[in-house]
Amino acid sequence: MAKTSKTPTSERPARRRRTPRGVVGTGGILMHDEPGGRILLDDPDSPENDDLQPSLDPGEQVAHSLDALSDLAGGILQSLAPRLIRDLDHELRERIRNSPIELNSFGYDPWGFNPDVARRTLLLFALVYRYYFRVQTSGLEHLPAGRMLVIPNHAGQIALDAGMIAIATVLDADPARPLRGMGEYWLPTIPFFNVFMARVGGVVGTPKNARDILEHGEAVIAFPEGVRGMSKPFAQRYQLQEFGYGFMRLALETTTPIVPVAVVGSEEQAISVGNIKPLADLLGMPAFPILLNYFPLPVRYHLYFGEPMEFRGNANDEDEVIGKKVEQVKARIHGMIQEGLRRRRNWFF
Amino acid sequence: MERLLITGIAGGQGRLVAKRVADSFAVSGVDRAPWEGHPDHITVHTMDLRKKKFEDIFRRERPSAVVHLAFVRHFRADPMVRHEINVAGTKRLLECCATYGVKKLVVLSSSYVYGALPESPYYMDEDTALNVSRHYPDIRDLAEVDTLCNTFLWKYPDIATAILRPVPTLGYYVHNSIGGYLKLRYVPTIMGFNPMTQFLHEEDLAEAIGRTLETGIRGIFNVTGPGAVPLKVAIRETGGIAVPLPEPIARNTIDSLFRLGLYHLPPGAIDFVKYPCTIDGRRFREATNFQPLFTLEEIFSSVRH
Repeated sequence: MAKTSKTPTSERPARRRRTPRGVVGTGGILMHDEPGGRILLDDPDSPENDDLQPSLDPGEQVAHSLDALSDLAGGILQSLAPRLIRDLDHELRERIRNSPIELNSFGYDPWGFNPDVARRTLLLFALVYRYYFRVQTSGLEHLPAGRMLVIPNHAGQIALDAGMIAIATVLDADPARPLRGMGEYWLPTIPFFNVFMARVGGVVGTPKNARDILEHGEAVIAFPEGVRGMSKPFAQRYQLQEFGYGFMRLALETTTPIVPVAVVGSEEQAISVGNIKPLADLLGMPAFPILLNYFPLPVRYHLYFGEPMEFRGNANDEDEVIGKKVEQVKARIHGMIQEGLRRRRNWFF
Repeated sequence: MERLLITGIAGGQGRLVAKRVADSFAVSGVDRAPWEGHPDHITVHTMDLRKKKFEDIFRRERPSAVVHLAFVRHFRADPMVRHEINVAGTKRLLECCATYGVKKLVVLSSSYVYGALPESPYYMDEDTALNVSRHYPDIRDLAEVDTLCNTFLWKYPDIATAILRPVPTLGYYVHNSIGGYLKLRYVPTIMGFNPMTQFLHEEDLAEAIGRTLETGIRGIFNVTGPGAVPLKVAIRETGGIAVPLPEPIARNTIDSLFRLGLYHLPPGAIDFVKYPCTIDGRRFREATNFQPLFTLEEIFSSVRH
């Protein structure tokens, strides 16, 4: 499995689940799928559901009743949810549990990943994956054990392609490999979002974070085209834009295999006829596309995972040397996209 | 037996270190506050580091090892006095170490010197810049002390100087800002932020200092405990109730309360409950084989009210 190297942070043997403490308090996370388990103990951040406490002060009573209310609401929602959603939720839970991610006794990994929050987010994307985009995935058997850099093409105006790839590696790969994303430096300053980002497996994309996470044996996803790929107009669909070189330097430095991925279908989900660059600059957004449809069309996605590519060399070589290696990855993805387009009958099937 | 001088010996951490090393060193200590009922085999001088007589301890006792823990880390003192004790006091101590032939020096800095910045990486190593003054100028004296000792480390290659930067330390004996914060019944947090936070037990820190003395390592070392959890998990596990406040309200309130002397932390401290300040403890572990004994659960229960 992926546990080949120690990081600063795997500071003691990880326990996969929290041990029960006390008679009633089962310690929320990951416990609720036990036979006859309590489905209400779901939130890792909610106070312990301890034994009946004889004396509660008013503040605590308020806090407890609020928790009870939200638990009740969650429970009702859970029981009202269609069987299909509950089954998908269960499947995600099982698959994340069997993934090689190490958690501490409180249910977090060193970078703040939490399977419960991640699962709820993935659930939404998983519904889209199965029933809206009806994604067809192939080549997941190529995923190496241990660390890897997943490098796809990027398209579609909204980064749903990232979500679909992340679901594919959890729902359809064996073992499931939750992907780690690298974010912009200012993302941690956004309230709530920063916590969410960490819980679903994202970190700020500093070189140190990227190295640590790869050395820890994780799967990291990066889009070397960045916004250039995502926001390109419809006329340029399936034309790979310029690739950044950072991913290749990182792969060389950490001797990480690169898994090329071709996404076919994403280009047609939202049809862009132009980009108002001045307005985007004014709003501080990466792009302001003019779209024919702002709600994604129910196109069919096709994901092709290629065989891992191994590169060796000096991570600090000049751009010319690195660029040649990057071109090989780009060419492989290009070939896979063309093959995928040839096989596709139409946008929707 | 080697003679060891511990500055700040009457504080919680000082007492634990004294206890830890009492078998292998002849221990004496100095502190501004007295240590009532200290063990007989430990000599305690109640004295200020800035006083002239402080040097007499070196002349008389000729310690071969020094552990420097005498820092003012709270804000109840006059900022001028705080700065003088921390920076001038350390400078004075370093001069004494050089003059009187000290062989080993251990200085207790902290992970706070790296600062909690949104763009900081997780698990920072010892080469990371000391950024704390950007958002938390009130504790820049601690970064200055760290740098002062760093210069000393390179200037005197024959002295085994070790600068330890431990993560937030909790326990029964130590009294520090993070401990005071977690002991609150209602713990103010910043709405929408919940950074990963590392913790270390006070006895494990004493052990780490003991091992530093025994191995005679030289350099700068991060010291980490059993791992990291989101701040709100720590608050819950120590028996508190997190009260999330919108940041502008929290900042203004804490600023006013601090000015009036009604709250013990300046607003610069807010960034430490917003952004992670996590460090990489590999270098120290590899150098000393240090392994923390206390789990996160045990650390939290040691400050539970």
